[in-house]
Amino acid sequence: MTPTARLRTSWSARSRQERLALRLLLPVFGTVFVAATVPFVLAVVQAVTNSTGQFIGLENFGRALGNPQLYESIKQTAIYAVVVLPTELLLGLGLALLVHRTVHSAALRALIYVSAMIPIVIPQIAVGVVFRLVYAPDYGILNALLGDTGHNQILWLSNAPLAMLAVASVDIWQWTPFVYLIMFAGLQTVPFESVEAAQLDGATSWTQFRHIELHYLQPLILLVVVFRIADVLRVFDHVYVLTGGGPGTTTEFLSLYLYRLAFRFSDLGQSAALAVVVMVAMTLFYTLISRFLPAERR
Amino acid sequence: MPRIVRRILTTAVLVVAVLVFAFPLYYLVVTSLKTKAELYSAVPTLFPQNPTIAPYVSVLVTRGMSGLLLNSVIAGLSATVLALAVAFAITYPLTRLPIGRGLRSFVLNWALSLRFLPPIAVVIPYFTIVRSVGLYNQLPALILVYTIFNLPLAIWMLKGFLEEIPLEIEEAALVDGATRWRAFRTVLLPLASTGLLAAGIIVFAFDWAEFLFAFILTATPQAMTFPVGVQGLVTQFEIIWNDMAAGGTIAIVIPLLLMLLARRYVMTGLTFGVIREK
Repeated sequence: MTPTARLRTSWSARSRQERLALRLLLPVFGTVFVAATVPFVLAVVQAVTNSTGQFIGLENFGRALGNPQLYESIKQTAIYAVVVLPTELLLGLGLALLVHRTVHSAALRALIYVSAMIPIVIPQIAVGVVFRLVYAPDYGILNALLGDTGHNQILWLSNAPLAMLAVASVDIWQWTPFVYLIMFAGLQTVPFESVEAAQLDGATSWTQFRHIELHYLQPLILLVVVFRIADVLRVFDHVYVLTGGGPGTTTEFLSLYLYRLAFRFSDLGQSAALAVVVMVAMTLFYTLISRFLPAERR
Repeated sequence: MPRIVRRILTTAVLVVAVLVFAFPLYYLVVTSLKTKAELYSAVPTLFPQNPTIAPYVSVLVTRGMSGLLLNSVIAGLSATVLALAVAFAITYPLTRLPIGRGLRSFVLNWALSLRFLPPIAVVIPYFTIVRSVGLYNQLPALILVYTIFNLPLAIWMLKGFLEEIPLEIEEAALVDGATRWRAFRTVLLPLASTGLLAAGIIVFAFDWAEFLFAFILTATPQAMTFPVGVQGLVTQFEIIWNDMAAGGTIAIVIPLLLMLLARRYVMTGLTFGVIREK
């Protein structure tokens, strides 16, 4: 075979493989891509038309964005995030450092690993049930443990600031272990040599963390924050079960507000407009943060 | 600080952490084993006086929630198989065949971006679609939605597993004269089966736990899933704590067992491959 001929066969073989790749990929990917994109298109259509299908321009967007309740729900979501995210991060990181430094038995580490996974895999709706049994008046175990079950008992779920703390505590309960597991896994990647060298130089536990371990954990902390922000924006199940967004609308986060708009008030136009805004906002958010995510690194 | 004091302190912190995390679950299970009479005692008890499985019977039989359980299993299994098939069809060419970098990163990025869409925003238009094509209150609607929304996880997990299988193994079969289909079936598929199983378990657990879509897209026990039923137990006028706890316990047990089976892959899946178990 001449070199040119060999080159040609390898080229044609290659292009045949490329064609096969596209033939396999495109039909399936195209289908799911369309299936996932259709809702967005439909939401836009619903947002710019009225119930008889007439084009009404941006009126629904005006109503959606002009609704003071929207900003109320954004505010509640922000408060929730501000309570939940730093707490989970600090607690998770603290526990990871503690176990990393003090627990050396492999069996105990494995046991903690599996136990920490339990809250993460529990359905949110069941988590709501669990904490209903903790916080509810009369039967809730928290008040019983605090020793007050009478008329003056604390109404954890129907007192405005307490209800926020109650639903936030549930989030913290469920997701601190997630942060812990990621941070603990990150700590295992810190090269032993650099830790040893620092210890020989007399580094304290804190300087060892501050100057060496934190460096390795940084990308993971970022990852946790990004994932948790996305999760906070979709919080629904456990809040719906615990407070239903109440008392009043004090725990009505963005998802619950959208739910009420769409399925309690049946305001299709306004909720579709808001859904479009949320989808666009999340796409922008995703574009901004995607370089911190695994996809771009390869 | 003397060594011994530090040891006691760290042990104390860990014990408190374990108690805080374990106690609510313990109380759920305990409540699910209580008799109705015990619920009305003045002070809630920490141990069931006369343990009974009556609440489970009440939930599954009297309230007919075993039907919802079946719906959950059917929807979960179908959506898992579909998601795995679609994810495999997408990740196979991405990892085993030459494909443009641009297209590859577009597909992967798109899949990941789905993870960031709040379901409530998507379910509003889906609700209209499902109603207009007559799939409202039908399991197929849930199956399709679950398939799409678990694709990010399925695609990223399978991509990770397939990348770990050396290309040479399949190529050797091709050189020996096997067709690509045959090489796929007899060489790649057996090697990928552990990964497929792990991804399947995790995807199923997510389908099982899903609430919002099922809550909005179904209306009667014909298509309702178990979590929707559990929510119904909570928000009824008269709260029957032991039934509610039994419902919660059943909802928890299945994903818990599955995740214990797939424990080595859970974090890898949840972090899209960033965390790897050794």
